[in-house]
Amino acid sequence: MISYHPDSRYLTDFATANLPLAEAVCVSAHLEFCGKCRAHVQQLTDVGGHMLARLQPEAVSEDSFAALMARVSAGAQEQFPVTVAAQVPQEDVEEAAQSHVFLPRAVRRLVSGSLDKLRWVQLGKALRVAPLQVSDESRETAIYDIRAGGRMPEHEHRGEEITVLLQGSFSDADGSYSCGDFVVRHAGEAHQPTATMDKDCICLVCLERPVRPRGLFYRLLEPLVNYRLQRMNRSVA
Amino acid sequence: MSSSEDSNIGSLRKALAGAGPQGAPDPWEAAIRKVAQHQDRAEFKKLFDHYAPMIKSFLCKGISSYADRSLAEEMTQEVMLKVWNKADSFNPTKASVNTWIFTIARNTRIDFIRRNGRAGRTIDIEDIWHEADSPEPVVELQQRRVETMIRNAMATLPEEQALVLEKAFMENKSHNDIAEELALPLGTVKSRIRLALSKLQILIDR
Ligand SMILES: [Zn+2]
Repeated sequence: MISYHPDSRYLTDFATANLPLAEAVCVSAHLEFCGKCRAHVQQLTDVGGHMLARLQPEAVSEDSFAALMARVSAGAQEQFPVTVAAQVPQEDVEEAAQSHVFLPRAVRRLVSGSLDKLRWVQLGKALRVAPLQVSDESRETAIYDIRAGGRMPEHEHRGEEITVLLQGSFSDADGSYSCGDFVVRHAGEAHQPTATMDKDCICLVCLERPVRPRGLFYRLLEPLVNYRLQRMNRSVA
Repeated sequence: MSSSEDSNIGSLRKALAGAGPQGAPDPWEAAIRKVAQHQDRAEFKKLFDHYAPMIKSFLCKGISSYADRSLAEEMTQEVMLKVWNKADSFNPTKASVNTWIFTIARNTRIDFIRRNGRAGRTIDIEDIWHEADSPEPVVELQQRRVETMIRNAMATLPEEQALVLEKAFMENKSHNDIAEELALPLGTVKSRIRLALSKLQILIDR
């Protein structure tokens, strides 16, 4: 049962495609778990359709239709073809479909089909983190895997943090969260999530990039992740 | 939680039930179907004449900073090319033609901005904004019947609410962008948009 949903700001900015991509990935992931928010996004999109149809029309040039049909006749695909998706081999996508963790489409693309192939960084006994590259916006995106019963170090957020639970559940002083939940923590809120005993907890996490690291958690996480990333990049190059 | 959810949905149903008949069927649905089934160019010309000027208007608003007419013209063609190519994926039970074309124009616009902005990316727009084949069914909020009601309610919105909706939906602005532009606290922008949406019977819990 999903109890935590994106608020009207996230849903509206998503429906109008005005969210930073990393946050849009989180909303998109939640929508695959939540029929109610998906219905809201459909309603919001209807508002967009309604407003579009009532705009003051802007004349297109006279030869526009002919030019378009010439492209159609020449068998034109869109000028902006699907490119990134094509890089994920089909077998990876099928493999992901068979794996026991349900991954929403946007996440499936970002992890190239499977969580196993990610570069995991172990942070203590209970937590491993795999950074994801969404875009170079001011957000850090990662998959967190908290071992069943494991406890994360207490940490404070320097910026807004979105967590979407992909598997398992965790709890902190404020409540307990289960698969599909969309949990937002604001800057300055501290918490110490603990995964429930029965299952590893896998989360998609999007962090507003902190201006400068402060506090135990970032001292632990930030330099390490950045260091590993740099090393990976070097070894690729 | 769940009880407030139920009552929201319940009151929405009631409101919609009172919204009157669904009105005339959308004539553009048939046009899209003919394009999908027979590559009917005459029907496509009608669609083009009707929608291309609106799409161009939308794109001109959304990309005002790069506004140059030939660019908006080129992107309009791009959107209409997608309408032609994707006509067979149009599903009238999921979206009205207006809504469907809005999503194509919106995605084309964001795709363009991402390709031309500094933000590099590793994911396709369509992987994020997609019609999910989700195991979780859409909760039936009867949103397809909202059209008549949207029209009536939209006409009665106070100017300050209509303005923020216009900026969010047509001018490509986030809540934060609107707050900055109008020099309003973010919370005020959020509550204006929520108020406007609730008049359109879109009742989001928070
Ligand atoms: Zn939801």
